[in-house]
Amino acid sequence: MWHSLTLLFPAFLLAQAPPTSDKATWTLPWDADWVTAVSFVGPNRLAVGNNLGEILIWELPDKPGGSAPPPVRRLEGHTNTINRLLSTPDGRWLISASNDHAIRCWDMQHESAESAGIVLNAITIADAKSPAGRRAGRKIPPPIEAQVKLSKESRVLSGHRDWVVGMSLSADGRTLASGDDKGDVIIWDLPAGKEIRRWKVKGWAWAVALAPDAGLVAVSERRPLVFDSGRHVGMKIWDVRSGEMKRDLALDKDINKHIYGAAAFSPDGKLLALGPGGELDPNNSKIILVDPASGKKIRDLAPGHMGVTDLVFHPDGKHLISCGRDTNVRIWNVADGKLVKQLGQPRGGQFKDWFHAVAISLDARWLAAGDMAGAVQVWSLTNPQK
Amino acid sequence: MVPWNTRQEHLSRRALLKGALVTAGGLAVANWGGLFHSPAVAADAPRRRKRCILLWMNGGASQIDTFDMKPGRRTGGPFRPIQTNVTGVQICEYLPRMARQVDKLAIIRSMRTQSPDHPDGIYHMHTCYRQSERVPHPEIGAMIARYLGDPDSDLPSFVRMGSTGNGGAGYLGPRYEPFSLGREGRLPYFTTPYVNAQAQERRSDLLRFVEEEFARQHRAEPFESHRMAEARAWRLLRARSVFDTSRDWPEARDRYGDTELGRGCFMARKLVEAGVPFVEVGQENYDSHVDNFVCHKANMGVLDPAWSALLDDLRERNLLEDTLVVWMGEVGRTPYINNRAGRDHFIRAWTIVLAGGGIRGGQVYGASDADGREVQDNPVSEGDLFATIYTTLGVNPRVRHYVGTRPVWATPEGSRPIRPLLS
Repeated sequence: MWHSLTLLFPAFLLAQAPPTSDKATWTLPWDADWVTAVSFVGPNRLAVGNNLGEILIWELPDKPGGSAPPPVRRLEGHTNTINRLLSTPDGRWLISASNDHAIRCWDMQHESAESAGIVLNAITIADAKSPAGRRAGRKIPPPIEAQVKLSKESRVLSGHRDWVVGMSLSADGRTLASGDDKGDVIIWDLPAGKEIRRWKVKGWAWAVALAPDAGLVAVSERRPLVFDSGRHVGMKIWDVRSGEMKRDLALDKDINKHIYGAAAFSPDGKLLALGPGGELDPNNSKIILVDPASGKKIRDLAPGHMGVTDLVFHPDGKHLISCGRDTNVRIWNVADGKLVKQLGQPRGGQFKDWFHAVAISLDARWLAAGDMAGAVQVWSLTNPQK
Repeated sequence: MVPWNTRQEHLSRRALLKGALVTAGGLAVANWGGLFHSPAVAADAPRRRKRCILLWMNGGASQIDTFDMKPGRRTGGPFRPIQTNVTGVQICEYLPRMARQVDKLAIIRSMRTQSPDHPDGIYHMHTCYRQSERVPHPEIGAMIARYLGDPDSDLPSFVRMGSTGNGGAGYLGPRYEPFSLGREGRLPYFTTPYVNAQAQERRSDLLRFVEEEFARQHRAEPFESHRMAEARAWRLLRARSVFDTSRDWPEARDRYGDTELGRGCFMARKLVEAGVPFVEVGQENYDSHVDNFVCHKANMGVLDPAWSALLDDLRERNLLEDTLVVWMGEVGRTPYINNRAGRDHFIRAWTIVLAGGGIRGGQVYGASDADGREVQDNPVSEGDLFATIYTTLGVNPRVRHYVGTRPVWATPEGSRPIRPLLS
């Protein structure tokens, strides 16, 4: 069940360039609350989590085009914000981390007989019908309805005592690292569903990035007391097997400027990308590429995200994808640090609805980003017309 | 009730200006030294027993994320309520120690106030008057110092720590200006003598002699005021051991939390125990237009042990009955969560908490509506709140003072104490 998959890709997929158009292939509406996490599960399934703890699954068509597909499944169990969604390389398991202190594992092969009808734009309709909406003359849109199968989790990993904010999976899908706002970092044997090791960082654990071989884990630390001597920021690399701190990246003054809200290892484990989190000046939010072996900064990427919310490497290892509070998704060339493509449109500039999470499918055909407005943008990376 | 002031004891415009000059000259010890000392003040002495500690949440704490939660509503946010030691009353999960103190708390969930921004809100919630008024109203600390302070005490009667009020003593004059400690309760640097005690005393005597000679030839109020302030400063040096926490803080640290607010609350307890009638302790970081939830979660992690330890400590020392502890800031925060994950300023329906000092605990007063957008029951104004505070402390909320010939009252006309909160 938990067999490992190779990360080798067919040559034609490796050669795929990022999209040349910033127009999303589909916009998947779901306005129940902010969309906070996205992950591809296998080649065509897209899992999306929101602020309420709900998870919906979409099955994307094989090819781009046509109208946006409806969701097909709802995963029920979490009771608070979904912070991270990850899937095993075989596409069998989805893993979710939540503010309800739990990590849940969902068997994507499990079929349920139960189903329910949902309205994907229920809040927009309710707002239009409200006295304020009527006063503003808002048009009541037709409901966007879908029938979804209902699923329960197969396993709950209960070891955290606070919001589970950071979570990362090894390349073989067997080792999971998670971190919470109590500062507990836990390493899990995922197939066994057991805690292997835990340690505590100073402050709260935020971004967690596990190396592909599960040898190292990078954990950012924070205690966000802005005008107080109790404020704390940190960024350390730990040895997963011993639980010992290997490198304090914050000793580098270039790295010790920010609290890091996103971190990711490259597929070969030779690069660590760090994205400064929180709300930042657009000129002061550079993504940093670090050599995890030496702890030294390799290069900065151009600033602009106003706070990075998520980072993911393209499976080719040559590109890095980022999203942030500036309402854009950016695709970067790792080798020279240049911006290859910016996706999305700034919706009015500062303080508009930011992207919370970005994901790329394992076969690199799809890119998805979830936003605060309650929608998921899906881009095709193989659109021949673009 | 406290008798109204006589015309003779009100502060003249001239004296006020002189006092302001003295304060502006850097004499931070002004609330010992008075521009006037009347028999009426001495007559108030029996009422000195009551004290007040104000925990000031600078920037404005979110009521929905603390004491007026809206679980399941779109305005509710990610925090979850927990049951308290009072049946039917729930508060935020990140205030677990305070949840065990709710039998001592009066939670006012129906504050409807008038000043939505920081400077005007800070002034308004410290004086119960609008900042735009031409009269310089005194802060609550100055008013309490005026009526409950001991003029003969070596200790100041109005102490504050951290970012707090912006009104000062107003028309009550420099004698009641706050004495500021560092955020952790540290004394200002000028209170640390750099010579030994005997040498310090000789210097003091010499200065006193020179000033008395000078005063004989220059009989004017500012000189007298200056001399009095200096005398008070010497008295502070005598009493400075009260501010020394080196012995007892290590034991208290685990209860209060090893934070600035924890130290501040501990110092507040020591000071009221030593007879200081008003101490204000500020906590920063509440102005959460951005990332409200991580901000409040971090703040509550500091607030919860400090506040609950303070209440426990006061109760164990039989001080809580006579010490009112007020938890408030200048504004509440919007029910609506903005697209910076923040909450903005809000004055239409927010929450303030009182405990001790004659307040009947274990109750919620007033209510906001289902989403927290409006007051549903029993709106409470700034004046009503202050009238309640003054009444429970034994100060007449309608006590009258004069600014020049103009009469002014401790609370605005129409202010009423909230009787169900009073024991």
